[in-house]
Amino acid sequence: MLSLISYLRTAIPTYAMPVALLIVIGLFGALAPVFLTPANFTAIIYQMSITGIMAVCMTFVIMTGGIDLSVGPVLATSGLVVFFLLHIAHFPLFPAVVLGILTGAVTGAISGLVIALFSLPAMIVTLGMLSIVRGSALLAGGPDLHLVREQPGFEFIGNGFLFGIPFAIWIFVAVSLLLIFIQKRTTFGLQVAAVGDNERAAYLSGRRVKLVKMMTYVICGMGAALAGIIQSSQVHTAAATYGEFGTELDVIAAVVLGGASLLGGKGSVARTILGVLFLAVLNNGFNILNVPIDYQLIIKGGIIVIALSLTEWANSKVA
Amino acid sequence: MVRLRQLPNIELLAFFLLLYAFFCFYAPHFNTASNLENLLVGYSFIAVLAIGQSFPIMVRGIDLSIGSIMALGGMVLFDLSVIYEVPGYVVIPAVLLVCLLAGLLNGALVVWLRLQPFVATLSTLAAYRGVVYAISGRQLFPEMATRPITDPWLTGMDSYLDIGGVTGLDQYMEMPWLPLSFFLLVGIFIIIQTMHSKTQFGMNFKIVGGNPEAARLAGINVKLTILSAYGLSGLSAGIAAIILVTRLTTATEALGNGMELTAIASAVIGGISLQGGIGNAFGPIIGAMLLGIILLGLTLLGISQFVQQIISGLILIGAIGYDKLLSDFRMRKARAMQSGS
Amino acid sequence: MSKQILLEGRKLSKTFGRFVALQETDFAIHAGEVHGLCGSNGAGKSTLIKILTGAHRPTGGEVHVNGTLAPAGSPLAMLELGVACIYQHSNLIPALTVLDNVFLGRPPKTKLGFIDATEQRRKAEALLEKYNIDLDLDAQVSTLATVKQKEVEILKALALDAQVILMDEPTAWLSHSEVRKLHDTIARLRALGVGLVYISHVLDEVFQVCDAVTVMRDGAVVWNGSIDEITRPELVDRMVGNDLGEASRSVAAEPRHPKGTGEILLSARDLGMTNTFEDISFDLYKGEILCLTGLIGSKRTELLHSIFGSAKFSAGTLDVLGRSVRYSSPSEAIAAGIGFVPEDRLRDGLLLDHSVSDNLIFAALDKVSRWGFWNNRAVRELTERQIRDLNVKPADGSKIVKRLSGGNQQKVLLGKWLEIEPKILFLDEPTVGVDVGAKAEIYAILRKLRAQGTAILLVSSDMEEVMAIADRIAVMVSGRMTMTCAADDITQEELVLQISGGNK
Repeated sequence: MLSLISYLRTAIPTYAMPVALLIVIGLFGALAPVFLTPANFTAIIYQMSITGIMAVCMTFVIMTGGIDLSVGPVLATSGLVVFFLLHIAHFPLFPAVVLGILTGAVTGAISGLVIALFSLPAMIVTLGMLSIVRGSALLAGGPDLHLVREQPGFEFIGNGFLFGIPFAIWIFVAVSLLLIFIQKRTTFGLQVAAVGDNERAAYLSGRRVKLVKMMTYVICGMGAALAGIIQSSQVHTAAATYGEFGTELDVIAAVVLGGASLLGGKGSVARTILGVLFLAVLNNGFNILNVPIDYQLIIKGGIIVIALSLTEWANSKVA
Repeated sequence: MVRLRQLPNIELLAFFLLLYAFFCFYAPHFNTASNLENLLVGYSFIAVLAIGQSFPIMVRGIDLSIGSIMALGGMVLFDLSVIYEVPGYVVIPAVLLVCLLAGLLNGALVVWLRLQPFVATLSTLAAYRGVVYAISGRQLFPEMATRPITDPWLTGMDSYLDIGGVTGLDQYMEMPWLPLSFFLLVGIFIIIQTMHSKTQFGMNFKIVGGNPEAARLAGINVKLTILSAYGLSGLSAGIAAIILVTRLTTATEALGNGMELTAIASAVIGGISLQGGIGNAFGPIIGAMLLGIILLGLTLLGISQFVQQIISGLILIGAIGYDKLLSDFRMRKARAMQSGS
Repeated sequence: MSKQILLEGRKLSKTFGRFVALQETDFAIHAGEVHGLCGSNGAGKSTLIKILTGAHRPTGGEVHVNGTLAPAGSPLAMLELGVACIYQHSNLIPALTVLDNVFLGRPPKTKLGFIDATEQRRKAEALLEKYNIDLDLDAQVSTLATVKQKEVEILKALALDAQVILMDEPTAWLSHSEVRKLHDTIARLRALGVGLVYISHVLDEVFQVCDAVTVMRDGAVVWNGSIDEITRPELVDRMVGNDLGEASRSVAAEPRHPKGTGEILLSARDLGMTNTFEDISFDLYKGEILCLTGLIGSKRTELLHSIFGSAKFSAGTLDVLGRSVRYSSPSEAIAAGIGFVPEDRLRDGLLLDHSVSDNLIFAALDKVSRWGFWNNRAVRELTERQIRDLNVKPADGSKIVKRLSGGNQQKVLLGKWLEIEPKILFLDEPTVGVDVGAKAEIYAILRKLRAQGTAILLVSSDMEEVMAIADRIAVMVSGRMTMTCAADDITQEELVLQISGGNK
């Protein structure tokens, strides 16, 4: 009995999420057969691609022990930037998108610079950035919706299909693979985890800790910007008000459900995808079953609490 | 002299007054009774929230769920008063109790389930908002949705005191009508400040936040202290909900959305360090009012609302940077003194 | 002694697993007595203190306060019985005033349950007057100098009506003049009948302020009595132990290489750091082990960090490999061929949640990657080679470092630095908390490095270690280098005197 418990403890951090995911999928499948159709799974992944891209890109930030609350307005800004470049400045599609992503990189670099250089708490700095970026976006674009017209290339990003699968999913998969590659196959991946594990030790081992930290915010900003472009394309509009309050919390919840610790050190891109998938499956299943919003919120909150306290329990006793 | 030195955030107060003077000179209609009234009506409840938020921060935590707790309190108030026609003097304690319990639940998650405060309150942010939808009288009884709150006990919360008229000073100058919420704020300030300086309970928050190990050795119940911090945060969200809902005479499901960020910003600007261990009721109030005069002043200056957002973001980062600078400076000074003597 | 016994430990024992930290130890404090507690690291002093304050529950024996049995393992109960301890690290709340700290957790209250500020102040002022301590009660603790903070802790103990105050290395972070102030305070407490336990490595201080002394070695009391009954050399002898001298001599049978090959790799001239250390000059030769020894707080660690670039020296010059340098970050020092095994391996050295392999490669990423991409084979080879050479157990590169024993952790940390093939290697207390077997292995590795021509600068407070492994020895006292000599030219007893002969 005792060995079973201790076995469970070591197994929980690794298997809890996949098992929970399977249970939830099975449950929804039993209650609503339509849930298990391939079309619905495509829909789930399509719906999660925007949050998913932001979450995998935020994983590194959280692994260093930081956080980025400013992804919502960054998402809005990049959509606006691309809109301006396409419609007002008449840029071709490709440079417009690249510059749009670059705006995310710049805002991320600013947050990262302030956080790393002055050792300020990431939560407050990015909270300030949230306000600053939102204000700037509204200043530039006003509160109105800007219709993106006659840009077939741009519309393809969010609405097109490649080999029968939405292009947005391809982007999500590509970004995920790229980040998994960075995490597993490059020295940067180890340095990110090392900074979160023991920043002082990493510094004393000759690592450029501040640069690593800053780069994680740049990646996070770029992810948010890419997500913003996809969203703009999906709804054919750009607006400074997109990525409204709560976006960043969804993203963080996904990363944390994937097992990343807000104290830094722990986390993996692949598991973040599981976290995003879990939340997306819940949302989709709830909607199919017509679960009212109130129960959705309560159940989601409850699941996060249970998942994390289980992990906490497992970690604290084994160590 | 001793008193003055003990006053926290003296620099912040000076900055506040300077800025106030600046707007008085340059912003049209800033120095008017009605503007002051706007400030007090619009920011008293935010100051209450900021005081509440200062407790979790004091014990090295954070409470992201206060916006949802506010909505919860508001909805309970609406349901009880409008739908069940419970008298106001019962409704108010009931609302406070619900919000206190919601806060204590946050504390329980942090203390017993050992969740990180950010995650725990992030989850309850979603969960409490869900409860709000579940008990929303506007959806359960759609025909009631537009009916305003009429209970005199509750509408009475939104009354004003014409101090000019009462004191007769309005013969000489224009005086603002002070909202009841302002007096509530003053009352809370006095209670919390007394608690901080005069009671063991209030002192415990600073001790636990400042040095948990020392607190344990001194026989202080660390868990209970952390639990109370979240309870107080929830309670203050309840008070804010009462102030806001009685003014609006109705509650919505989206009430208080995003309010946690304003409250955290006010507390941090007010000098409540995220490192924990620092606490007073004065800083959060000044922090909230500072945000208030900046936004009102800039509006009157004709500066767009969007620029105001940018400026408040900059102020927040500036405040935390200043706090860091100050603590670095103190540390260096302490080290110099240690070896210099 | 006719004076009343305030606190007494009877046949106290403590074992951790199979390790015996304390065996059947008797200890007694009388009223109005300052009792010195001496012994080298690991002698069992802190275990004894922790049992007396209730922080540890003894495996055997009893603690008596004023002749009655005290409950075991309850810090609160011991506080209430009047036994207070001032630990090395502060137990004050920096953001509160002195007054609030003094009555931390148990202030006098009015009938309504409020803190009685007037009464609190009256009590505190009475204490200040009674014990003649000078403190500003309204000052915030964070603004006070360290010695003042110690006094606040003393006052805090007195406010609890403490009869016995235990002080663990109270002078470790104090300057000379501050030490004198503290000793004056201690003298006044003694005159008023308080019993004090004074733990210190500084023998000068022990002879200055103590009335009686207890010497511990290997978890047992080896001597105790009045301070008049023992001379300083005798005390040192008891601390070190007679048999130990022989042991270290046999280890030292290895030939020493003072000044190595004669080629200077690192040369410091008049290095200084404001308020920390000054006028530090020394040379480090290729193929030698220079041991830098001294007491806690003698600023040896700070010196290493300032050379390594993780802190900055403010005066003097530094030449490394014939070039004048001043590193602004560790990465520059590492690029120049300097490695640094820091003091606190858990805090400064290891990535605890990472694998052995990740830790081993972490200082030499360029060796196992190209353009930032891993060369997996190189990673594997490096890991296997180091695990084999260092004899890390278990021999598994994927093992999480947190789960290794102290000795194996230290070997991994050492291995990390060996991979940069350092020309100069700094080690700061590399064998603290390391078992005897691993210690010997680490010494063997250091000797091998020396033979390969690495210049090694080793900071250690462990006399036995210094005598065993050093080619040359340098001593630091309160931020100054007071002595440098070849290891053969000094005995362990002389060295202990040098180190503790601080207050001049």
